[in-house]
Amino acid sequence: MEQLKDILSRRSEIKGWMIQVENIHRRERYFLLDKNEIATDQDREVKQQNIRLRIFVNKKDPARQGEAEKMIKFSLPLEEQVDSAVRSALETDIQKWELPAKLDVMLPKLKTADLKMLENLDKVMQDLTEQIYSVALKKRDVIFNSAELFLSVHDYETHLSNGLTHHSNRTKIFAEAAFSTLLAKRSDEYLEYRWASGLKELSIDELFNEAAERARFTSLVVKKPESGSYFVLVDSAVLDLLMHDYLTQLSGGSKYLKLPFIEVGQELIKGAEGDLINLKLDPYLDYGADTTAISPDGLLQKPMDVVRDNRVLETLSGKQYSDYLNKQPTTVRGNLVMPPGKYSRDQLISLQPKILEVLQFSALFTDPYSGTFSSEIRLGRIFDREKGTVEYIKGGSLSGSIFANFKNVRFSDKLVTRSTFSPGMSASGESASGYFGPEYALLADVSVVG
Amino acid sequence: MKRAVLSGDFKKLRKELSKILPLLEQDPKWHVSVFAEKRASCVYSADLRKTNVSDNMVMGAVLRVYNGYTLFEEAVDDLSIENFQKSAKELVTRVKNSQSKGQYRPYKTLSWKERLKTKLDPEISSQIPENPGAGTEVHFGISYVQDPAIVTADQRLQKLKDTLVKVQDLALKAGLKKEDITFVVAREGFGFEESIYIDRESNISQAIYRQSFTVVIMSGEHRVFHRVGGLGGREIIDETKDKDLLDCLKDLKGLQNAGRLKPGRYRVVFGPDVTGVLAHEAFGHSQEGDTCARGRSQAWELYKSGEKAGNQHATIINNPAIYRDGTHSFAAWGSYFFDEEGWLAAEHVLIEEGKLEVPMTNFTSALRLGISRTANGKRESFANGVYTRQTNTYFKAGKETLEELLSKIDYGFLAMASAGGMEDPKGMGIQVGIAYLEEVKNGKLTGKIFRGPAGGDIQMTGYTPDVLNSIIGVSKVECETADPDHAAYPFNKAGGCGKYHKELVVAGCGGPYLLLDQVILG
Repeated sequence: MEQLKDILSRRSEIKGWMIQVENIHRRERYFLLDKNEIATDQDREVKQQNIRLRIFVNKKDPARQGEAEKMIKFSLPLEEQVDSAVRSALETDIQKWELPAKLDVMLPKLKTADLKMLENLDKVMQDLTEQIYSVALKKRDVIFNSAELFLSVHDYETHLSNGLTHHSNRTKIFAEAAFSTLLAKRSDEYLEYRWASGLKELSIDELFNEAAERARFTSLVVKKPESGSYFVLVDSAVLDLLMHDYLTQLSGGSKYLKLPFIEVGQELIKGAEGDLINLKLDPYLDYGADTTAISPDGLLQKPMDVVRDNRVLETLSGKQYSDYLNKQPTTVRGNLVMPPGKYSRDQLISLQPKILEVLQFSALFTDPYSGTFSSEIRLGRIFDREKGTVEYIKGGSLSGSIFANFKNVRFSDKLVTRSTFSPGMSASGESASGYFGPEYALLADVSVVG
Repeated sequence: MKRAVLSGDFKKLRKELSKILPLLEQDPKWHVSVFAEKRASCVYSADLRKTNVSDNMVMGAVLRVYNGYTLFEEAVDDLSIENFQKSAKELVTRVKNSQSKGQYRPYKTLSWKERLKTKLDPEISSQIPENPGAGTEVHFGISYVQDPAIVTADQRLQKLKDTLVKVQDLALKAGLKKEDITFVVAREGFGFEESIYIDRESNISQAIYRQSFTVVIMSGEHRVFHRVGGLGGREIIDETKDKDLLDCLKDLKGLQNAGRLKPGRYRVVFGPDVTGVLAHEAFGHSQEGDTCARGRSQAWELYKSGEKAGNQHATIINNPAIYRDGTHSFAAWGSYFFDEEGWLAAEHVLIEEGKLEVPMTNFTSALRLGISRTANGKRESFANGVYTRQTNTYFKAGKETLEELLSKIDYGFLAMASAGGMEDPKGMGIQVGIAYLEEVKNGKLTGKIFRGPAGGDIQMTGYTPDVLNSIIGVSKVECETADPDHAAYPFNKAGGCGKYHKELVVAGCGGPYLLLDQVILG
């Protein structure tokens, strides 16, 4: 690292640089049913180091600069790799911006990693494996098919040309379970998966029991939903995805690039009449997926109210876009926090004569710019208060819009924590989203075709 | 014709890797292998305010031991001999300490003689020397006309900037005002991918150039895009013509005044991109051997029972050995010479005229299902596990022209712009996303664009066998003319695929035009 820093500091063309180092230790197991036993199909261990370098170079035009990103390998000649990055950067052209000055405050000590996983990843893998053996073969009226368990420990270092050096770590868990049921003519299944930042956020028993219970529900499916407009109950996974996606319209990058953007003072949902949305970014919450003291460009991250009572209080800009938009930088990282609503889940269901609860979407596709979303319904149920029935449905598609369907939204009173880590093949690597918010929301006037 | 060769680093690494096998072969019943890869890629981009270059590299090796029950892997990116020795020792200890559960399924490493019994594409067989043996270093290189590695960043960025100007000029021809174009980005991706697979009987390597060119154009919230990609030389990038950009811009103009689709059942022509997603999500994912081995696919039951799952038009093929994509001179996006478990690429029919064939497989799923291996063992990177993954998946081409297919629609749509999809292997549901539709009346395109009921994407849903039974027409590859096709395979676009909500890999996506009746759109 010191050699790389030394090379970078000796290059006169380079005006600044950022280095992100990630050391990963991962354990993975894939389980399946084999001759009435839980067999391990694959058992993997991964040791990997990712080093991402971003450099900034001066251009003849003082209002412009060049930039390039490069994955660095310490095992390859460093000088050549830096040369290549400099050559690339010199060819690019971007409006000038300055890295922030070195932070001179004490950074908060945050809880981001599970201590047991840090201590002995193999032991945690073995303990969870034993739990899977036990819960997967529990006697049920559905069949266990398969499971996956991935555990990883990530050590991060950030080094900036302004002198800042920061160390942090994070733990991640991915677990999934699939059960199937035999119907009269054909079988169906339910796959449940969870990401977690640590062991406290994940219960193997709960995950497997829920997957098994919902697999049993698939045997109760009688039809597709009838086409029409529905009040739809969605869970925190959907809220997490939609709200994080919609934040794109509050980012300084969107404003600069002339993409759809919502200004400070404007309503998040025009003409909202239901529960008014409150959003906060909190980078300090214990074991949040996006808990972090600093942003990639070295700015202190602090809790920040973004939307209060449906009114935008603050938009999100790191140092680059703040310089471009001539405003102060803000928090750009952090867990999304939404306060609870007033209703229990049962009350939400009883608010309307007929409610469609979506237990699982096949794949919810969202568009951050139009605010629309759509998906096939993998499994759902319709609560009909007048008939006093609960009918399980599968199939058909749902299409909605944040603008229209959140106007009269109602949130549940129970809060949940969710972590989601999205893998990526790009140089910028994984993205993480933490959600601390209501467990359910009831949306209105959602179009469904059966 | 020129072919890509291994880099100097990987030539050296190949020698070191051969020394690792004896360290892993601690039990004669074990099947051991080593896989190493380097994927160096660079994305050049230009939008209306900036240009950028982003360089990525994934490099590592996987040491593998299969003990008859479980496949054990140790994946490392420290490629020093000292680390290999240490990792091999750790892996062997892990295998020895493991609990063996389930049925014992031994594997005999295949010799070259056995490998060569399979029918191979001439692009593969022509690169294998005569009488190869365990020690023969066999290399496969992608062919190319214009060397993509010598193009400078300046040349690439200039082409992107020229494209931005072209888009703005063409916008006027499409009936848009200059200020209507609020955002444009042009991106070129260039990758050099090399890999080595060694077991006790084979020592093979491959080197591939991967290139893509993407243009995204926005007007407010409305977005259209054009993308071309393939494996080969710089000639791939030249495939983007003004007409492609103009067509995008016309769609963008149409989106400004788009209607909202009334949910319901329609007669629809799926364009190649959407057809590709349908093939991929239908039998496709359900025909992935690991999903079958996990008891998670209905396709395995249908295959065993012989029950039909589509009509005579439903022939879907997975093929990693497409070295001429459609009428192009370059290879299709999802192609390679061997998969990441060292199996040589070959065409595999997944469903033929509605009747399911054996699934495609990776190493462990073939053993578990007791069927042949196919070249579908893929991983996101060396750091990820192997699954059965698709390469280029497409419907077999038919005999009709596009005009003939459209002429069979009184009222319906043409779906050209795909927007993702999702499989449901056990329940047999299917979701195919369509960004927007173009209206067809009395066999003619009206130019009117429709979005989904809420103003977003449209989702086609249904029960997969029902959808495959609703196909009433299939186009030729060269669908603009009634002349016989010259192309051996349909065009495959540059796409990607996630599995089980993660594990992203590249996948070719394409096929002929399909005419479907009574399609559920909402």
